[in-house]
Amino acid sequence: MLMEVKKQIKISLLSIKYSIMMQMLNKVTFITNVIFMILNNASFIIQWMVLFNIKDNVGGLSFKQVILLWGIASGTYGIAHLFFEEAFNLSKLIVNGKLDSFIVQPKNVLISVVTSRSKISALGDLIYGYIVLLFYGITIKRFIIFTFVNICGGIIIAEISIIYNSFCFWFVKADILGDTINNTMLNFATYPETIFKKSVKLILYTIIPVGFSTYMPFKLMLKFGIREFFLLIISVLIISLLTFGIFNKGLKKYSSSNLMVSRI
Amino acid sequence: MKKYLHIYKVTILDNIQYVSNIVLRILSFAIIIFVLFNLWKYMYSDQETINGYSKSQILWYVLITEGIWFGVRNKNFTNEISDSIKSGNIAYSINKPYNYVSYLIVKNLGDITIKSLVFVLVVSTIGTIFIGRLKFTILQIPFVLIALIFSALIFSIIDISISLISFWIEDAMPFHWVFDKLVLIFGTIIPIEMFPNSIKTIFSFFPTYPIMYGPAKIIIDFNFNIFCKIFLVQGIYLICTIIIMNLLYKEGVKKVNVNGG
Amino acid sequence: MAIIEVKSLSKEFKVKVKEKGIKGSIKSIFNPNYNIINAVNNISFSVQEGEIIAFIGPNGAGKSTTIKMLTGILYPSNGTISVMGINPSKQRKKLAYNIGTVFGQKEQLWMHLTPYDNFKFFGAIYDLNDNQIEKKIEEYSKVFDLGKFINTPVRNLSLGQRIRCEIVASLIHEPKILFLDEPTIGLDPVVKENIRELIKKMNKEYNTTIFLTSHDIGDIEKLCKRVIIINNGKIILDDTMRKLKYNYLNKKIIEVRTKRKVNLHGSEEYTILKNVDNCLKIEIDTTKSNVMDIIKQIDEDEIIDINISNIPLENIITEIYKK
Repeated sequence: MLMEVKKQIKISLLSIKYSIMMQMLNKVTFITNVIFMILNNASFIIQWMVLFNIKDNVGGLSFKQVILLWGIASGTYGIAHLFFEEAFNLSKLIVNGKLDSFIVQPKNVLISVVTSRSKISALGDLIYGYIVLLFYGITIKRFIIFTFVNICGGIIIAEISIIYNSFCFWFVKADILGDTINNTMLNFATYPETIFKKSVKLILYTIIPVGFSTYMPFKLMLKFGIREFFLLIISVLIISLLTFGIFNKGLKKYSSSNLMVSRI
Repeated sequence: MKKYLHIYKVTILDNIQYVSNIVLRILSFAIIIFVLFNLWKYMYSDQETINGYSKSQILWYVLITEGIWFGVRNKNFTNEISDSIKSGNIAYSINKPYNYVSYLIVKNLGDITIKSLVFVLVVSTIGTIFIGRLKFTILQIPFVLIALIFSALIFSIIDISISLISFWIEDAMPFHWVFDKLVLIFGTIIPIEMFPNSIKTIFSFFPTYPIMYGPAKIIIDFNFNIFCKIFLVQGIYLICTIIIMNLLYKEGVKKVNVNGG
Repeated sequence: MAIIEVKSLSKEFKVKVKEKGIKGSIKSIFNPNYNIINAVNNISFSVQEGEIIAFIGPNGAGKSTTIKMLTGILYPSNGTISVMGINPSKQRKKLAYNIGTVFGQKEQLWMHLTPYDNFKFFGAIYDLNDNQIEKKIEEYSKVFDLGKFINTPVRNLSLGQRIRCEIVASLIHEPKILFLDEPTIGLDPVVKENIRELIKKMNKEYNTTIFLTSHDIGDIEKLCKRVIIINNGKIILDDTMRKLKYNYLNKKIIEVRTKRKVNLHGSEEYTILKNVDNCLKIEIDTTKSNVMDIIKQIDEDEIIDINISNIPLENIITEIYKK
């Protein structure tokens, strides 16, 4: 059993490596994309500088803290799209019957699918996250926590996308859901959760789980606590279980009925 | 008569597939607005006015600028232009018996007509329900209309002009990026009055001013002087951008003729 | 024991039926009507290990659906499938280790990698260790003659070279069965011939069972000893190639070149396909008449050249499709 997990990890890492390599073919495009993403993210600092000119705190956070929040939003986004980009394209694969070539291989279908593509500008997002950390004040402890929470947050972002995209196994028109959830999570992620009412916060910890992907990691960065640490890990585990469960159920439906008759 | 009815029916049915696209856009729009409203409501939690804007005015401001952003942008079209230049297909379009750039402008406007009308509706609805009525008189409508149409024109012309850069550089994306950022950051979410004094004058020259700030200001806080100023800036921008666009096209076409498409 | 055993296999799809016009569109959302399509309708066959079998039929006949069920992509609605003793829908992963697939229209290889890197990747998917992979790569390089381009990125290869690599990638783990879906589509005749040779070699050296679908009659004719023809979800023919070619359509074509135009009177025994200038083309039904009898009807002094041939396989199959 352990052997199998090891082999699965080995092939997944290989898949990720090749997906990223595929994006680096044109050196110029690669570097331009990464640098532009960093500049793109950095330009939002101007917006926050102006806002803090008006008020000395936003949602109870200082300027540095808000920028840190941005850095986490960027870092988690980077991890999700650098390593698991195809998770965000899943609805199209399902509807167009492109899962077949993955089903035929003796490896876990979901993992094979999501690691088969990479978005290179996401590297810029990831790097920007660490630049923000430098600006916030970097220590070894902070670096480790930052890396850890980014990985957790990134996995959650990818998994939420997978869950929403999986609805296409049952309703072809559900591809709208998949697209919306990604943008929505991103929109909320760069703003402090304290500007939202309690009722909204409930949503942010359930159907639009930015709370788990961004706010919890952020709180851990501000002040590391064992309780919060374990809460994050458990969240990742539960969401992962949910993801694989829903996807596998959908895959069964895919195999037993086949959405598009035109694929015959 | 019957055949026109038929064409009309078929066109509507054809467009129904685009309904889901528009629904998606309205959803994305609504979410961004929701987040921004929460942000500004927080900023106003212990103030009545900031830099001359009341809470409801700033909310309307954001609603209108984002509405322009969503209603006027036409990335598909501008990408198509870049692609056709890169692939050389543009050679076919140049030989048609009409002015190519005029054709581009008109086509773009046609594309965005329905979208922008939808967003006018969406903006008015959301605004009236969630913010409250604006101090707005019917007399303002012609001025607002002019400002909006100019704004859409300037926005389209600049977007198309940037795509024309594909004649020289393979990837015009970075330039689109820079322009988008300029418009977004400097005056879409935050009106120019709120920027620190030192930067305010410079921003008046940025494209955000005629595209975003102008129409929004005229809607929420109209006075004739402001309108004149904005109209002037829009006019200058319009003339300059048209000239630049035509220049780019002329030079670019020369290149095509030399290389054979 | 047969390596593939299919019994009473059926697959049905429910398709929404939409009535015309706007009313119909609305109705289909709230009270949908379904049509049941029997893509595969109660078919049975078995394949022995080492066979090269052609599985053909017109478009929409149910070929791809059957292959998808054999490989575990689709679950059957009815009936049983046993591939190497495994039920594909229940033990998909276990089966995956022992089969190879090449779908002509879908590439599996990483375009920017070399064939060598690709083979290492696929070897890892099938849990081969580095030594095993190296050995296999060397072996197949020789057999498939990949030496020249094994280190060139796949996207820089010609179509023929790429298909060769796709086949090797699907064989890296020495599967017992190879499923080929339109492998020679888009290839020029020389390359096609090359690929066919390689497939035959695979079969001979490793006793790999080959399950092939193709619209190319040449593939079928040159490779397969056995043919299953499926149409409208049912098997209409399951026989050896030999019998198909020589016995199924008992017709022969006689082409005669004469010194002068020959006027052959019409007869029930033969059909005149062409009678232009000095060329005469006749089709005869061998169950009804004899080749020599017909030829004797032509004055032998007039005959310059004569050619007796079977109906081209393509026509035979087209006839069968039409049924």
